[in-house]
Parts: sequence; structure tokens; C-alpha cells
Amino acid sequence: MKKFIALLLSIMLPILSGCGIGREAASVKPVTLTLWHNYGGQLKDTMDEMIDEFNETVGKKEGIIVNVTSISGSATLHEKLTMAAYGDPGAPSLPDITTAYPKIALILAEKGLLVDLDELFTRKELSAYIPQFIEEGRLADGGLYVFPIAKSTEVLFVNKTLFDRFARDTGAKIEDLQSFEGIIRTASLYYDWTDKQTPAIPNDGKMFYMPDSIFNLSLVGCKQLGAEFIDDGRLNLKTPQHKRVWDFYFTPAVMGQVAIFDGYATDLAKTGDIVCSTGSTAGISFFSRTVTYADNTSEPIELAVLPYPVFEGGQKVAIQRGAGMCVIKSTQEKERLAGIFLKWFTSPENNMRFVSSTGYFPVTEEAFGERMSKEMENITDPAIKNLLSVSRVMQKEYEFCIPPLFESVDELEEQYEAQLKAAASRARDAYIDFSRSMDPVAAYEKASHGVYDDFILRFQ
Amino acid sequence: MNNSVLEKIKILKEAAKKTGTVGMPMGLRLFLFLMVLVLTIILGVIAILFISGTFTAGLSESKRIVENELLYASQGISKQYGYLSVHTIDLAEELSRSLEKTAKQLGISLSNLQDHPEELDELVAREFDRILFCLQKSQSSGAFFILNATINPALEKAKYSRAGLYIRNMEPNILSSSTPNYIVRRGSPTISRSHELSLDTQWSMEFDISDAPYYYRPIEAAESNKQLKLSRLYYWTPALKLPDTSEEVMLCSAPLIDSHGNVFGVCGLEVSAMLFKLSNMPNNRFYTRLFYTLSPIEEDVIKLDQSMFAGCYSARILSRGQTLSISENKNSFYVYTEKNQRRFLGIHKPVMLYPGGSAFADEQWVVAVMVPEEDIVTSVTRLNLLLIGSLMLLFVVGVMASFVLSRWFLKPINDGLAMIKSTELNAASKTKVPEIDGLIEYLALHNQELYEKARQENISSNILDEFLENTKKLSPAERSVFDLYREGRTAKEISEILSLSINTIKTHTKRIYTKLNINSREELLLYDSLLKEIGKKIE
Repeated sequence: MKKFIALLLSIMLPILSGCGIGREAASVKPVTLTLWHNYGGQLKDTMDEMIDEFNETVGKKEGIIVNVTSISGSATLHEKLTMAAYGDPGAPSLPDITTAYPKIALILAEKGLLVDLDELFTRKELSAYIPQFIEEGRLADGGLYVFPIAKSTEVLFVNKTLFDRFARDTGAKIEDLQSFEGIIRTASLYYDWTDKQTPAIPNDGKMFYMPDSIFNLSLVGCKQLGAEFIDDGRLNLKTPQHKRVWDFYFTPAVMGQVAIFDGYATDLAKTGDIVCSTGSTAGISFFSRTVTYADNTSEPIELAVLPYPVFEGGQKVAIQRGAGMCVIKSTQEKERLAGIFLKWFTSPENNMRFVSSTGYFPVTEEAFGERMSKEMENITDPAIKNLLSVSRVMQKEYEFCIPPLFESVDELEEQYEAQLKAAASRARDAYIDFSRSMDPVAAYEKASHGVYDDFILRFQ
Repeated sequence: MNNSVLEKIKILKEAAKKTGTVGMPMGLRLFLFLMVLVLTIILGVIAILFISGTFTAGLSESKRIVENELLYASQGISKQYGYLSVHTIDLAEELSRSLEKTAKQLGISLSNLQDHPEELDELVAREFDRILFCLQKSQSSGAFFILNATINPALEKAKYSRAGLYIRNMEPNILSSSTPNYIVRRGSPTISRSHELSLDTQWSMEFDISDAPYYYRPIEAAESNKQLKLSRLYYWTPALKLPDTSEEVMLCSAPLIDSHGNVFGVCGLEVSAMLFKLSNMPNNRFYTRLFYTLSPIEEDVIKLDQSMFAGCYSARILSRGQTLSISENKNSFYVYTEKNQRRFLGIHKPVMLYPGGSAFADEQWVVAVMVPEEDIVTSVTRLNLLLIGSLMLLFVVGVMASFVLSRWFLKPINDGLAMIKSTELNAASKTKVPEIDGLIEYLALHNQELYEKARQENISSNILDEFLENTKKLSPAERSVFDLYREGRTAKEISEILSLSINTIKTHTKRIYTKLNINSREELLLYDSLLKEIGKKIE
């Protein structure tokens, strides 16, 4: 009799508890994970394809649907995250997963909104990732809040079509662009060359270069020259190294050879208003392979990628950039499922797929090694191929610095950029004014007099 | 183990064979009676579930959920698109007036804009604020206008290149934002830089109208229907990707018409795939993969590649199928089938994007709410599996209860029978079943009576034997009288039969009585009948 009851229960219990249909139930009632990311443009297509693939494969099996509910630029995304973190009126609800730079993650983590990803990954799993990328995602309390999915550095992008045309006439060499000083010399040459093309209009030479982030330029430039740009949470501007970086940007900017522009260099590159720029490797997908001029004529261009320039006599140092993914605290189950997505997304195979078409670096040791070499053979876009090749060279030869992380760093960066651009812009206007009645050197001297000291005083 | 099972089967077979010959045991009989009762109850429950529609309740509930979603979706989408249509008409009216005024100031005519390409930048630039304001006010994801002219007619691409301005709002769903989310998708970079806006990654200087229904169709409609008002001339494109862009958009465009009736361009607003998705979020509480589409429909075929989607189901996976054919399922959902046989269940209803009398009134659009078929089927099946599981459990419990009850009910009977079969009936313990205990008491009493009777019968037998023996002592004359008495004759009748005097008969009778040791004729007859009963004959 007891045996009979046991047999009966073993048959009936699964039916009643619904275990027999558990697997199907997973596909019927999957959990939706909302995702915000900042991969726009061509990156969006790659991201979309990968998310679709995840939803159709691992997601289907595990009962996860990743639903993208925002694709914004990083500045907008960060504003949205900050608004949501502070509960500002009109702020959207936080998603389950978001891309974020560590400086924003710091705000979210301090409010207790982020999951410590050490809870979702085992030590063995984490050991597959490049250690410094993991370390960058560890915030003040040592918890891993920003998971690396793709990293970038800064390189020099050159409109080679335009440069070659200019080089043919002037003898300029692309090798000169390996140093900041070489860039300035070439910029001066380019200004004169373009100025001479319209003899009737004096001083209408064109800009040659633009740094996407002057803050990063100063940070890395000082480091290359052996000084710290930020010391104990404050800008360390009274160093000869910073003065050298200042002179690199300020002087040619005032003289119209380097752009003073509130926006990304890709905007100016699209219209042929600059020839080269330093910016994130990820920016490659924002570079149009066609340049459109003011009269609506356009031409295809070759985009060359060179390693990040180095100040003469300085060390080879470049910045390590790239947002990671953060998991917002919700339910244990959602957090666990978010971990599954992150593991899938950063598995060597998928990670390589994502980065190979987007200009990012992979984040696992395996993807960075052999897989990257194999993937490079399959890439058809010569610019991306060139970029990955340069990235590998830099990975071997350069030291990478991580931007300092403290609460007001974002604000400090904004202020530094805005003040420097404003100072350069005012001096540029004055220079144009003075150069009508005096030679360029004297005009520059007069226009730039006391500007550096004033600038430093603003940050005291 | 196997041997014991085989032995048990053999025993059961023999029992069944025996049942056939000696009849069904009472225990099995009772078990089967109870099983009939159990089955009757279960069939009754099933009948009630059928009549009350419980088995189809899951499907009905699913339909109710989807119907509610459709109501919500169609109301929301109609409102959103109606609102944007009105803003497009307003923009077209304002822009037409404003551009005409500017053209007049610049000394050019809108009817031959192409003759003055040098003025186009100025014409466009002056409308920047209006376009931006309309974009903000309408909460759309983009606003644009296109003039029927290009800034460089000498170019090879000039035939399909048109000047204009297209500003996008990257975050139309954020109410307040200090970060500028506006970017310029089409237009001179001078305009974007003067307003400190970035160029879109997929920026172009001018519009490519080689495949631009948003440009041609409202212009054609305006030129061929001069009498129609602007409110009857706006046009909604199906979802499309503009050349060299990555996101699907729907554009609402209206013609720009000057006061002389010349059509000189179009203007309009954009709904991006993301805006549509975020503005029309379905309630995914019941079905996570439920989604809405706003789709053009033609002869029961939904064009997926021209639809907008909202919901968690991946629209891109879906739109690869390009079309969905609709088949009606009476009293239930419509079935939407993709070319690759992926099936969805759902409901759709027409949505009016145009007012009556519009040049595009014959274009049919529907709002559909769909769920992957397997989601609904599994959900309904799960509910019914639970019901069937419960009924199965009820049946099994019934079988067990019948088995246990029949054994429990039979136990005192078997005990009673065992007691009855035992010799010590009086010493038997109580079964606590009054009827059985009563029966045992009765049988004990009856046994006693039988014993007594038998004992008495033993005594009677000796007397009869003695009586029988005494009959042999009768003389022949006495025997003749005795026999006649046995035949029931009276003394008088015997005297007549034997022709003897009554006194002689009385003398014989007296001697008979003495020899047989009896006292009356009745006693003689009793003995005679008792002897007959026990089968003994008087010789």
C-alpha cells in the first residue's frame, strides 16, 4: 500500500506543481530586461543584431527578453541616469541594465542603485577578462559595478585623401603626425597652403586638427611629459608640462590652425573643415567615408588611423576609455538574468563580433589574442582593419591611463573644457582683429597676453 | 522479484477464474459499486466544467486581455497620430506663409526657387526656429521641410537632391533636459554650427528624393486636387529607412503651397521606431511577448516591413518576414502567419490616419495586438493541464478511498463470519457493528434452541421406539381395531366396520391402551403421526 501511494504521488505531484510544463512556462513568461545604451549610428545595428540573437537563443532558453528602451548619446544617457538617480521630475524609470562610464556609475553606486557584479560572476569567470579593464569598473568600496564590455583608447584619425593632396603640394609627411609638435608644424603648413589657394582673401587658411576632448589631451599630455594633471581631486595646472600642453592647443587655435568647436570632431571632418583629429577609437563609426563640401559636392575619402600622438621627449601614454555595463538593483532573479546576458555579450566570440565592427577593444584575454587576429582577416572595411591593427600596436607599446574617478570629476572636466575653449575663442577674435593692423606674431602676442595666467587663476 | 510478481499475477488470474465460476466476492462487488459512484462524480464535475466553460476560460481570458490591449493601443495611437497630423498641417500653413514672406523680402518667387540657389541657405536658415519650436511642441522625434530646389543644380545628383532642414530630437520622451538632444540630419552645417547643434552621424547636406514618398505623394496630391484643403492633403508614409540611416521612421508630410496655389515643397514630422515603441508600451503583465503594430493592410495581408512595433517582441526578427497573412478563426483570435510559418494570435482594428475626403483616404491602416501562438497555447494548455491533473487526482483519491472503504466495510463482516464459523460463538468478542453483533447473538441463541430441540428429539425417539415395539404385542383382533384407529375411525365406526358390539370394541381399546402404554385415542394418533414423520412404519 505504501509503495502504491509513493508511486501515485510521484506521478501526480509534478503535474500539480506544474513542473512538467516548467520549461514551456519559461518561454511563455520570460522576464524582460530593459536596456539603455549609447551605441548609436552603425553601432546600433550591431547592437540590435546581437540583442536579437540573444533573445532568439540564450534568452529564449533562459526566459529572458532584452528590450532596448533608450539609445542616446553618452552625455544624454548620463543625464537621464543622473535624473533618474536623483528622482528629478520627469525622469524616466531606471532600466535593468545600462551602459555608463565609471564617473556616472559612481553616483548610482553611492545611491545604492547598482548591483555589485562580483555577486553575479565567479572568480574564475572574472579571470577570463583583462585585469585592468575589470579594475576600472571597481569603485570606491572595491565592488565591481561597471562591467567591461568593450574598451577604447584615443587615436589620430586622418582624412588621408585630403592630406595626400596637401602633402603632394607641400611635402608634408604623415609621419610628422606621430608627435603633437609635428601636428602643429603640419597645421601651420596646411593653414598657409589653404590660405594661398584664395589669394584674393587674406588669412582664410583652414583648420587642420581638433582634439575631441581637450581634457583628455591635457590629462594624457601631462602624463606623457611626466606630470599629473589631476592631483588629489584638483587640477594641477601650474606645471611646465601643462603649459606645454596649453601651448600646443591654445596657440594654433588662436591662429586658426586648430578648431575651437563645441561638438565632436566628426562634424568638422564630415565637411572637410579639418584634416585630422584625436578621439576615441569607437568614434570611427561616426566618421563618414564621404566628405561633403559647402557647395554640396562630395567625395569619398580614405580614413587613416595613426597611434595617439606623443609629445616630443615624452612617454608613450594613451587613455583607456569606454563605458561598461551596470546592472541596476531590482529583484534577485532579474539581477541573475542580467548576469547571464553580460556573460553572453562578453563571451570571446560575441565580444569580438561586437568590437570588430565598432572600433572597440575586446575585453577578454582570449578575444584579444588569437581571435582578434582571425577576426581582422575577415574585416572588409580597411579603416576598421587599420584601427584594430593600430590598437594592437598601442596595446604593446603604450602605457594606458585610466581617468581619475571622484564625484566632481565630470563637473571639473566640463568647466576646464568650457573655460579653455572660451579663452581660446576670445583670443581668436582678438587675434583676427589685431592681425588686420599688425603681423601675425605680434597679433598673437597681444591677443594671448595674460590669458594663461587668468585661466589658471579661475581654477585656484 | 519478477517471480513474485508472476506468482501474484497467477493468483489474481486464478481468483478471476474462480470469480467467474463461484460469483464475485463481496469486497470486489462493493469496490466496484463505489467506483461507479466515483466515476459518476467525476463525470458530473467534467460536465459542469464544460457547461460553465471552464475548459475554454483560459482562451476567453486571453482574448479579453488582448481586446483590452487593442482598445488601449488603438486609442493611444489614434490620438498620437491625430495630434501629429494636426501639427503637420499647422506647420505647413505657417511655413508656407513665412517662406512666401521671406522670398518676397529676398526678391524671389517660390514658383521658380531653382532659379535662385544662392538664396536657399538663407530661406532655410530663417525657418530654423519655427522647425525647432514645432519639434518641441509636437513631441515628435523629428521635424523637417524640403524645398523644391537644390543649392547646386550643376551637380549630377541635383535631379534628386533637395535643400531643406531636418532636425531630430533624440530624446522626445524626456520632459526636461539640460543637454541638447537636437541634432541636424539634413541641412547646411552652417545652420547647425550657428545653433551649436551636432550633425547626425548619418547627416547629408540635402534630401535625396529618389525614393521619397513623403516628398512626391503630398505634392502630387496637392497638384492634382487643387480644391482640397491642407487637412486633406497630408500623407503618412509607411515605416521606412531614409537613405543611409539605420532607424525606421514614419513621416507625416504636407505640401507647402503659396498664396497663388504653387506647390513648392513639403514639411512634416517624424515618428521614430523608438518614439513609437516608448509611447505605446503594451501591458506585458500577462503575455511578456505581446506587441502592437501599426501596419498598412492590403487584402488581408499586413506589411510588416512597413509597420511600426511596440512591445518586447523583437520587431526586427518579425519584420524579416515582410508580410503576415491574416486568417479568421470563428469566435477566437485572428491567426497571423508569416512566410516562414511563424504564427501569431491576436486581433486588429482599422485606424483612421486620414479624415474623410482626404486624398489618401483609401489607404488602409490597422492597429494589431499580437502574441506568439505558442505563448497563448501554452498558457491555455497549462490551465487545462491543471484541471485535468486535479480531476486525475480526484479519480485516484476516489479509487483509493473505494479500496480502503470496501476493505474497512468488509472487515467486521469477515470477522463476524470467522466468529460464526468458530465453535465458541457465545464467547466471541463484539465487532461493534450492531447488525453483525445482533446476528451473532441471534445465531448463538438459535444454536442453543437447536441443541435443546435435538436433545428432546433424542428422548422422543426412545419413546416411539418403545411404542413401535409394543405394537407387536397386540393380538390380531386388537391390531384390527388399532389400525382402524390409525385411520382416524371412531369407536362407533369401528364397531360397525368389524360388526362387533361397542362393548367389545371398548374392551379391545382398553387392552390396546394398556399394551401401548397410552391413555387416549389422540395420543395413539400423535404417536402414529410422529412415527410417520421420522419415517418409521408400524409393521
